[in-house]
Amino acid sequence: MAPKSILKKSTVSTNEPSASSPFTQRHRDTALHHANLIEQQKVVEKEVLQSIITLLDFPTSPDADPTRPAPSDALRFQDLIISFQTSDYDSLIEERNIADKCGYALCPRPKKKAPSSARKQFIETDKGVEIVDKKTLEVWCSEDCARRALYVKVQLSEEPAWMRRGGVGDKIELLVENAAEHHKALPLRLKQAPASKPVVEEEEEDIAGAWAARDDALADLALERGEKPGRLSKANRELLQTDIKERVQSTPPAPPEPPQSSGQSHMAIEGHVPRANKSNESDDEDGQDWDKHLPG
Amino acid sequence: MDDRNNISPAMIRMWRVYRTVKEMCMDRGYEMLQEDTEIPLEVFNARFSKEDGEPDRTRMHFSCQPTEAMLAKYSDPPTAKIPHPVPQIGTIWVEFNSDENVGLKQLRDYMQHLVNGNFYSGIMICSKPMTGMALRLLRGSAGIEEGPKGGVEVFVEQDLLVNITKHELVPKHVLLSKEEKQQLLERYRLRETQLPRIQVTDPVAKYLGLRRGQVVKIIRKSETAGRYASYRWAI
Repeated sequence: MAPKSILKKSTVSTNEPSASSPFTQRHRDTALHHANLIEQQKVVEKEVLQSIITLLDFPTSPDADPTRPAPSDALRFQDLIISFQTSDYDSLIEERNIADKCGYALCPRPKKKAPSSARKQFIETDKGVEIVDKKTLEVWCSEDCARRALYVKVQLSEEPAWMRRGGVGDKIELLVENAAEHHKALPLRLKQAPASKPVVEEEEEDIAGAWAARDDALADLALERGEKPGRLSKANRELLQTDIKERVQSTPPAPPEPPQSSGQSHMAIEGHVPRANKSNESDDEDGQDWDKHLPG
Repeated sequence: MDDRNNISPAMIRMWRVYRTVKEMCMDRGYEMLQEDTEIPLEVFNARFSKEDGEPDRTRMHFSCQPTEAMLAKYSDPPTAKIPHPVPQIGTIWVEFNSDENVGLKQLRDYMQHLVNGNFYSGIMICSKPMTGMALRLLRGSAGIEEGPKGGVEVFVEQDLLVNITKHELVPKHVLLSKEEKQQLLERYRLRETQLPRIQVTDPVAKYLGLRRGQVVKIIRKSETAGRYASYRWAI
């Protein structure tokens, strides 16, 4: 049996937040808002991980040519890579290298082998002989692939995907020779067939049109904020209040008072007269003459 | 001591790692013989070395069964509805990875192997730290259908060269079962959130394979009280 408490039974627990207070509701909203942001971040990170796992096995056919990738592969690659940061792209290259593949995701060849197994290697360059890490040599299958991969890398945004603005850098260009084919292979966007409208009163149509225009504008705004359909909205209506409160002045405005004594202007420090001086003037006490009462 | 000179440093290193892993499995409560944790260097060298004197990691893998006591510790207290609860622990597979770098590919292969072999959980020991993406997969894999039920733990050989729990400054950590945890909370009239915490990434917590929500009893030496027990909630 549990020991009996000697404390008084309190009816109201003081720890429990009272739901009636407007602050607790607001605090809860704020906490929820930030929790959702973190959740969104996790979703993006998971997506990036999934993309990398997919891109590990790219390209889909073993005899693909990195200069002329299949349109489907290229489109998929462009799609997956949009949400990458440069660091994510580096991880992709690293993972592909561990799997013994060329770092460029559209290249099926294995990575180049360094001439010897030493950790540091001598390399002939235009500037003379350089000593480089073996690892940096074994990243790409050829110079050409390195150029193609870095061409993609410089287009990636440093900003993490969950903080990006929409409409900026939504398109990654590839360094390919058959670019024209890819544009042809873009999925054709079918225009919605204009529904035959029943004859309605003009006014009603206007109102509907206005609402539709408003919805369009809101959708555009959401896109600009970088939202995707089905995702959490970044504009939080609970936290940002839009009703404007006027400040009503009750007393008529008074003109500023002129300075009280012009004689004090030499005491002013940037227009402010220190108060300590004022009191000193009114009743002159100890101050500098503190020793006159002393004997001798 | 003369024998030791003939054995390569890599082999001695691996021997220490191997012993620590065996001790870790025993401390967690898996079935393990005391002799196994104290395998002499010569025997280890004879059994696991290649012709060139380097350790052959592929032959060092092993699996362990949990003991009765461990099974009891990891199962919920029986209730009227479920008189025989299923213990949340099972066979463990320990693998020594010999690859230079461990990335997503190796980790996914390992997880696939665990699922295929019907292992409950796994420990992978690699020679170098894993890549960032693999760590990210590991972090998210606790609830993923892809991996085994009990999750995968990854250790770096470097961290297992010595058994940290044998250091004199490390107090004894004892995992409590669900029932013991319940009794503790009732005895001290606490909610679990009122306990002090220990992170699951804590070295000793990693050694014991603590999961979130479990409680460990930490027994320290005390000059005034002889022994002093405190409890921590793993988060």
